[in-house]
Amino acid sequence: MLKFLRRLVYNYKEYILLTFLSVISLSTLSSNEKPFAKHLKIFAIGNFSLFSEMATKATSIFHVDDSVPKLKEENAKLMLDLNRLRKAENENTELRSMLSLRDTSKYPLIPSQVISKLITVSQGNFIINRGAKDEIKKGMPVLNQSGLIGIISDVADNYSTIKTLFNSNLSIAITIQRTNVSGILTFDGANLIIKNIPSTYDVQVGDIIETSEFSSLFPPSVPIGVVLKKETINLGLLHILTVQPLANISGVNDLFVMKIVPSKQVNQLEMNLLK
Amino acid sequence: MLMDYLKPVLFFIPLAIVQLVVIPLISIYNIIPNLILILIVYYTLKEGQIFGTILGFVLGFLLDLISGGLIGAFMFSFTISAFISGYFYSENKMDTNLASYFFLLIVFISACVNSFLFARISNSNSNVNLLLLMMEEGLLPGLYTTLFGLPLVVFNSKNRI
Repeated sequence: MLKFLRRLVYNYKEYILLTFLSVISLSTLSSNEKPFAKHLKIFAIGNFSLFSEMATKATSIFHVDDSVPKLKEENAKLMLDLNRLRKAENENTELRSMLSLRDTSKYPLIPSQVISKLITVSQGNFIINRGAKDEIKKGMPVLNQSGLIGIISDVADNYSTIKTLFNSNLSIAITIQRTNVSGILTFDGANLIIKNIPSTYDVQVGDIIETSEFSSLFPPSVPIGVVLKKETINLGLLHILTVQPLANISGVNDLFVMKIVPSKQVNQLEMNLLK
Repeated sequence: MLMDYLKPVLFFIPLAIVQLVVIPLISIYNIIPNLILILIVYYTLKEGQIFGTILGFVLGFLLDLISGGLIGAFMFSFTISAFISGYFYSENKMDTNLASYFFLLIVFISACVNSFLFARISNSNSNVNLLLLMMEEGLLPGLYTTLFGLPLVVFNSKNRI
């Protein structure tokens, strides 16, 4: 029996090894949110990003200009202001005071630079050169002068990881600026989509999508994108909207972390959506 | 034995920096080549299937850690693709495998499998179109990766001469 087993192991050692390693890999996938895995990842990012940062600096020598980050920060602030003013056109003053909209431009912006990117069709993750030492915390929104980029998902001392809009694990509560129609924005591996919008709602191609007041992960009125396509499903009862992001997410290098500290309790509940 | 594994790990460090910093600059519609996979396929064809499978597992784990992605996704996809490329290992045909265009075919097959598995695992959205994933995250990255395997073939074939 022992001999048979030994021969079996010898003959099929490659398959046994493959099965063993595959099982370990797949079980590791399910323990990504465990503290040990988180600490290990943060430790690795914290150390390896030093090299990535050096390489990033080396590759960006042709477009280094000290005034550019400041101008981009100013642009980002102006973009938020502009968006707020656009919204003001659509709502009357009385209604706005009743809703007591939060002013997004009051949040400080922390300038940062992308030092490495993991780009795949389904997973968009960036690493930036700002971390806990710069008071960055998990859940802070990330944007640039054009619009929302993503959200901070992990924080090391000097570096942080961002889940971009092009990440199928990220869902965002949104509002259509013109009509205040709410929905959930997700990434389906190809496009940013908003599903199940009743066809009776007034939505048009070209409408601006922004973060919703219902979201405590993101401050309200941060522009995300524009409606690119409107498809009808379920016998014409519902719409699927395809959204074109305002920011060029894949090509972004300089961005800003919005320093907000949302309500802790709600935040903890919403953080579960990020897992 | 340990030194055998140490060498590709040492190659992995600069390649990983290039993969995460430089390669995104040449992405075409979010499709990028995978240089780490070329390294794994190369060593699998040089050292054998078991070596390659373990190497795929180790390098996948390291890449998962430093890329900020899901730990286990590259681990699994690299392990499987290294195992598949290990079928082409032959001690007698090592030179032919590494220095001919046959190497590119092996890289293409492994890259397609790797990209597809990675996309399938790391994508929790069940509504993702499977055919689209096979095309965009299977064939296209496979082709792009194969293109980057070409210099290695040219270099090896010149060394052979």
